[in-house]
Amino acid sequence: MQIFTQLLFSGIALGMIYAVIAFGYQLTFATSDTLNFGQGDALMLGALVGLTLVNLGVNYWLMIPLVCLFGAAQGAFVERIGVRPAIKIKSEFGWIMSTIALGIIFKNVAENVWGRDDLKFPSPLPESPMHFLGANVLPMEILVVVGAVLMMLAVEIFNRKSIYGKAVVATFNDRDAAKLMGINTGLVITFSYALSSTTAAFAGVLIAPLTLTGATMGAVLGLKAFAVAIIGGLTSGMGIIVGGIILGVAETTTGFYLSTGYKDVPGLVLLLIVLAVKPAGLFGKSAIKKV
Amino acid sequence: MKPSKWALAGLGVLALVLFPVATTNPYYIHLLETIMIYAIVLFGLDIVVGYTGQVSLGHAGLFGIGAYTAGVLVTKLGVPLLVALIAAIGVTALFGALLALPALRVTGPYLAMVTLAFGTIIQILINEMSFLTEGPMGIKLSKPPLLGHKLDEQEFFWLVVFVLIASLVFVHRVLRSHLGRAFEALRGSPVASDCMGVSVYRYKVYAFVISAGLAGLAGSLYAYSEQYISPNTYNFELTVLFLLAIIMGGRKTRTGALLGAAIIVMLPKLLDDIELFRIVAVTFAVLIAVGSGIQVARGKTTVVKTSIPVVGGIALAALSFVLTTMTDWRLSVFGVITLFVVYFLQDGIVGFVRTTFNIEGHASAEAEETRALTVGGAALQHPSGGTTPELLVASNVLMQFGGLKALNNVDLRVKRGSIHGLIGPNGSGKSTMMNVLTGIYVPTAGSIVFEDKSVVGRTPSDIALSGIARTFQNVQLFGEMTALQNVLVGLHHTFVSNLVDVALHTPRYKRDRDQSAARAHALLSIVGLSDLAGEEARNLPYGKQRLLEIARALALNPQLLLLDEPAAGLTAPDIKELVTIIQKIRAEGITIILIEHHMDVVMAICDTVTVLDFGQKIAEGTPAAVKSDPKVIEAYLGGDAASLSPA
Amino acid sequence: MLKITNLHAGYGKVEVLHGITLEVPKGSVVTLIGSNGAGKTTTMRAISGMIAPTEGRITLGGEDITGRESHRIAKLGVAHSPEGRRVFATMTVNDNLLLGAFPRLTGSRPKGDVTADLARAMEYFPRLKERRLQLAGTLSGGEQQMLAMARAMMMNPDVVLLDEPSMGLAPILVEEVFRIIARLRKEGVTMMLVEQFAAAALNVADYGYVLENGRIAVHGPAEKLKNDPAVKAAYLGGH
Repeated sequence: MQIFTQLLFSGIALGMIYAVIAFGYQLTFATSDTLNFGQGDALMLGALVGLTLVNLGVNYWLMIPLVCLFGAAQGAFVERIGVRPAIKIKSEFGWIMSTIALGIIFKNVAENVWGRDDLKFPSPLPESPMHFLGANVLPMEILVVVGAVLMMLAVEIFNRKSIYGKAVVATFNDRDAAKLMGINTGLVITFSYALSSTTAAFAGVLIAPLTLTGATMGAVLGLKAFAVAIIGGLTSGMGIIVGGIILGVAETTTGFYLSTGYKDVPGLVLLLIVLAVKPAGLFGKSAIKKV
Repeated sequence: MKPSKWALAGLGVLALVLFPVATTNPYYIHLLETIMIYAIVLFGLDIVVGYTGQVSLGHAGLFGIGAYTAGVLVTKLGVPLLVALIAAIGVTALFGALLALPALRVTGPYLAMVTLAFGTIIQILINEMSFLTEGPMGIKLSKPPLLGHKLDEQEFFWLVVFVLIASLVFVHRVLRSHLGRAFEALRGSPVASDCMGVSVYRYKVYAFVISAGLAGLAGSLYAYSEQYISPNTYNFELTVLFLLAIIMGGRKTRTGALLGAAIIVMLPKLLDDIELFRIVAVTFAVLIAVGSGIQVARGKTTVVKTSIPVVGGIALAALSFVLTTMTDWRLSVFGVITLFVVYFLQDGIVGFVRTTFNIEGHASAEAEETRALTVGGAALQHPSGGTTPELLVASNVLMQFGGLKALNNVDLRVKRGSIHGLIGPNGSGKSTMMNVLTGIYVPTAGSIVFEDKSVVGRTPSDIALSGIARTFQNVQLFGEMTALQNVLVGLHHTFVSNLVDVALHTPRYKRDRDQSAARAHALLSIVGLSDLAGEEARNLPYGKQRLLEIARALALNPQLLLLDEPAAGLTAPDIKELVTIIQKIRAEGITIILIEHHMDVVMAICDTVTVLDFGQKIAEGTPAAVKSDPKVIEAYLGGDAASLSPA
Repeated sequence: MLKITNLHAGYGKVEVLHGITLEVPKGSVVTLIGSNGAGKTTTMRAISGMIAPTEGRITLGGEDITGRESHRIAKLGVAHSPEGRRVFATMTVNDNLLLGAFPRLTGSRPKGDVTADLARAMEYFPRLKERRLQLAGTLSGGEQQMLAMARAMMMNPDVVLLDEPSMGLAPILVEEVFRIIARLRKEGVTMMLVEQFAAAALNVADYGYVLENGRIAVHGPAEKLKNDPAVKAAYLGGH
């Protein structure tokens, strides 16, 4: 039981990271029906830039907003180079391939800049675990959960309260109608990519102290976060948190009871099953087919 | 195929066969062998990507499954070559079917991610299941014996040449057959495919299975060719490389697949040599700059538009001189090439060459070649079937979307052999009725009986095959296919030949093919589109597109034809022609339901008219009776608003 | 106010409009009538920039707006209430209306008194007041239509384009919609109206254009068109 509680806690922390990255997928999907296939690489770049800043002597807490700024710039870059031209020529294949290509380039650049080995990210919080309900919890894990929730809340409040946020939600709802209101939806899409990569970069610096940091850390994270976005539904905010936790816990338990080599499998299998059975996700609404 | 093409193909084969005799350098033999193996994967990948229009990121995984099936069977059980190849095809095809399951439910980016997940799982499994796969250690195997004789490098090369040609012929024949048309139709319009009796579900599975089988075959050859397999080969980069090859070579052509395979195999070798890369990069930059310059000068494009590729090309050239070694940056170069190809070479090299030299595709040539074929029976077939006076009886049909009742307890009785008009203001539920009748929507409540059988809950393709054909309000043609091919998709149900018939071009297949082509031409001539048989549907004028939809629907040999606003957007003479065609169709005994806003058309040709308003039936009867019904007048004039005097 | 000269437009390679010339003078209501597929909606889409014209010129108050992006055209004062209502389903009625005033709230159009206009819209459409905090997606079809119209008015536009405001509405609601259009007209709102109920549309309009296959077949003062025998036979129910 104690072991299970332990697995549950680390599963939740992991799940919240997935949720944040999945949240990034939701943002861009809602505004433009596109996804950044290089989302995992945005996370990886965030973590590595963060690591460099910390090594340069920047305080961890001060580094976070800087990394977020970097993430925003990176996301806007991806949108301008990879997504906008494809939306213009209405090529689905185009944006899928170009975001993949950009992801590969980012990874390759990271390999050349930071090397191919995994690096250790110093933890800003004490590394001695706290005891809670008979299980050990790292302070960093609590920070991950709190940070993830705060990030999502901040975006949610912005969307609900400010007129610009409302413009973003209007673009989610109906891009053409939003344009007719005078909303520059192209800018909204760029913004959503910037925000999406910001959340990914933020997730990167949150998770980096818990895992190893390196050029290859993003790929599988990005894929599993997509699984979370699908399980939760690409339109449901609550869904991704639940989906993230389901996946996180499934993973830590598989890793413990089966073998760590298999820990990535349950999430991906879950993704296949959900898509085969209920493509709109467990919490998403299925759209009416229009002819 | 033209004699010149045969000669070219023969020369190509001869060159391939002689290659290992001409050069004894095993490095080059192996390089060419790899190209051929990749080409087999690409033939298969093109079926999924080029024809059905789905993005698969799982083909490296499938390739790996093929390689490991062969590897494991050979090392653990010592099976002979042929068994290993066939097992690899079979096992991989099974996985292909598995991969097709989510593909039935999702498309586009979802499917891309799913296939990516699939590929990742395969790689993990290969790594972890060491009891079978030796894990990261990999499997070593040697060149196989064939008929008791152990193949050497050269002989194995010839084997690969043979398999390549066999696969090429197989894929080519499948894609030019009704199966290939079905795959292409899925991409053009899934809804229309289903309504033409071409089940989207079934053909997506077929496409994935055939595609996977080829990947498996190539994988097993690869295992023998490399003589060593390890999990890391079948990674994400390889899958992207395959996709890059398809787009770069050109979708929907076998030449493109061969070219693509050559490029992705050769390019890494080029990139290993920094000197060579510098030359290539500079040439490339100069070519782009000059090309763009010419285009700008001719006013074909603007300076701003061309600035991206020009600056990109120059930056790449500059970069090549900064770097001292290329190997570390190989993936970035691939990424840049992918971006470039996606935006500036969308139709691939083959497509680019075709547009530049105005070479016409096979499809329009096919339309000309088959023109002389004669039909065995009448183009319009008198429907066989029951004798009950009512062909279709819908009772109490309720269709609810959320809180909105698009159809509210509607009854509809259609007499056999009649033209039944369905009219009403926009948004009154007419098109919803069509969609309910053809199975696109399943009604919330109520029953629909067609020929004494219920259609509720059956799939659209099943309903279509039972004799209900339709056209669409927003034209749903297969845009990239010719007019003739569009009609041929409607004739899909007349084909009795199977995959083997297609692959071997048996007399049965040839009969099917010629019969259907002749009938398609005859159907086109009924709607007056004979001259446009070889034209791509998307390039036809709007009015002609509507007529083509009717021809395609007639190809189903329907008992009941649903026409959804066939006159919308037609000019007055076109409408006259349309009325004649509709009357011709009815004369053959085909029952018609007609949705139309042109009242003169409705009044002239309908036997019975049903009026819907706000999801409810408000009147029914002969055109004359309906026309003078006060309720109908009110609905059509917008209630009492008509009498509102201007304020 | 709005002037269109020789407009050609379409979708992909298919041209729908083959040279439309028309004018919407300030303070008047102009209606476009014609059968489905004649190009009414396409004309509106070309005006508001949802599709780019291939040829011709569109000017708004003398300024050329041909081929501009629709958000820019909106900011210049064209409010388009599109076919099929297109309200923002997951947002409240109030937020939908506020978004109608987006150009005013973000400084690209004179701000004026948004709160007062909000109150005025609620007064025009009392049902919206009752449902102010309800999500737009949960409204009935008629209520959504009123919301779409009210949202367009919130921009304080120079020209309002109304595309089939009666579509899918019960007769009683159709009447209400036309009553509101008549009232807006009385207040001097410049309007272009596309309607399937031609007679009703001509009743509330000053001027009418009849579209046939992407060309203007007949045009003239609404009163005159109403009594034109050809128009009557083809579009006014034939009697």
